Amino acid sequence: MPPSPQSLPVETTGASWLDRRAHAVGKLALHAGRDALGLYRVFVRTLYYCVRGRREPGAVSYYMYEIGNRSLFFLTVVMGFIGMIMVYQGGTQTKRVLPELSMLGPTYLELLVRDLAASIGALMLATRVGAGIAAEIGSMVVTEQVDALRMCAADPIDYLVKPRFIASLIMTTCLVIYGAAIAYLTGMLTAELMFDVSPYTFSNLTLVDAGDLATGLAKCIAYGAAIPIVSAHAGLSTHGGSAGVGEATTRAVVNSSLAVIALNLLISATSFLVLGA
Amino acid sequence: MKILSRFTKRKQRSVVSSRRPLDDKGLLHDIGASILDIAGTAGGMGILFGRILSRAAAFKLDRDEMMRNLYRMGVQSIPIVTVTALFTGGIMVVQAAPLVQRLGAHGLLGWGAGFGTLREIAPLLTALMINGRVGANNTAELGTMVVTEQIDALRILAIDPISFLVAPRMLAIVVTMFVSTIFADVLALLGAAWMGDLLLGVAPTTFYNGLTSGLLGIGDITSGLVKSVLFGIVVGLSSCHFGLQVRGGAPGVGRGVNATVVASAAGIFVLDYLASFTL
Repeated sequence: MPPSPQSLPVETTGASWLDRRAHAVGKLALHAGRDALGLYRVFVRTLYYCVRGRREPGAVSYYMYEIGNRSLFFLTVVMGFIGMIMVYQGGTQTKRVLPELSMLGPTYLELLVRDLAASIGALMLATRVGAGIAAEIGSMVVTEQVDALRMCAADPIDYLVKPRFIASLIMTTCLVIYGAAIAYLTGMLTAELMFDVSPYTFSNLTLVDAGDLATGLAKCIAYGAAIPIVSAHAGLSTHGGSAGVGEATTRAVVNSSLAVIALNLLISATSFLVLGA
Repeated sequence: MKILSRFTKRKQRSVVSSRRPLDDKGLLHDIGASILDIAGTAGGMGILFGRILSRAAAFKLDRDEMMRNLYRMGVQSIPIVTVTALFTGGIMVVQAAPLVQRLGAHGLLGWGAGFGTLREIAPLLTALMINGRVGANNTAELGTMVVTEQIDALRILAIDPISFLVAPRMLAIVVTMFVSTIFADVLALLGAAWMGDLLLGVAPTTFYNGLTSGLLGIGDITSGLVKSVLFGIVVGLSSCHFGLQVRGGAPGVGRGVNATVVASAAGIFVLDYLASFTL
């Protein structure tokens, strides 16, 4: 364990303004570097244990239930509303420019498959699943259950992170597909009720090609891997009592949301440059 | 060691008897219980909101606490809001790119990105990020105070916890959300212009002209800002409510934070829909 930057014997009193600034920037950089290294370590060890770890029957399916089934209601509400909002806003805007709405459905479906379903769904899962993982692991760290695991010669990454990682990979994809179906249904309903676009005209999949589908699925997998790793890292680096657990949960939600947004830009831009328009 | 023994216990139960366990009261009971739970939460938030409004109307707010929270919630969220807004603007352009190239409508890029950003995406994503950072933090702080009996200590000292702790936080969250949304609007448009230049070769001037060509009105901006105030009220109320309801030590704080972020995220989307319709 390297000494934390806060405990480094740096004399800041009496230093000039420039020194203090430099000290603050250096501290920030050290923190960021340590976090990145920790994240990388957790990720690599999780991948290692996915291949070589102990087999624990029931653990993955238990977490699949925790992550997947218990998010169903939340995801239904959010994706249902996002479908209605997008179609309503898109329709009103299009009507300002052209009076013809037959392209509303195909454009919306393309956007849904390529980006919206995966990204909004993953942002929601980052909130729910990320906070849940960090809170669970964080309170285990605070109550010394993780140390107890280490004393039993069980690696917490193998025991706690690996099953959540596999479960999240599988369930994020399932939930995103389910969320896309919900958003499609509510969008179709909105188009029918508000703009008189018939469901038949709306359900036009000509604009959705294999590239869109591949982009959407790549996003599912990237988000499904990033959320548990970032949150588990936040949970495992908890210290202090109940205040520490709260702080770790906050960090998990913020960092996994940022990870989703950054990965989104990365994958979207890559797929646009590789696959073209 | 509750978590460690969970799997073994579950397995034993299923081996001993295949009948329904005693604590399983059936689907109807579960549905009723969750409806009662939701109703209880909504009622609790309503009462809390009334109390906060009565304190705010009488100006019984702790000024120092308010300033401290404005700094911690608002000023310290600037990095996250900045990163989110710049990336979001970029994503909007990347998503519009195939459409723009197919139609050759480079002049409309500013309008399309600006409309989506100002009306929906900037307020929505800012609210989600502030919910994750500020809402969760607020719940954790209030929850820790409840668990360590600091709220009871305040009551013993005849200090009203609502006007001393809750109302300043609530107000600070609403102000933070409003100001951050303005900030995010500007930065997201900047990110979109930059990305359009980089990816599509649309000059920033063309982008700016598309933005100001008359298709966008002041209504689009105010609609997003009204939404941000509504989102601020949702995040503030639910984070304060769940923070004050925390029971049972460190795990309780974790559960409270989880409940807050989920409830506010769902609330944000529902309100967004209702606001989109009425505005």
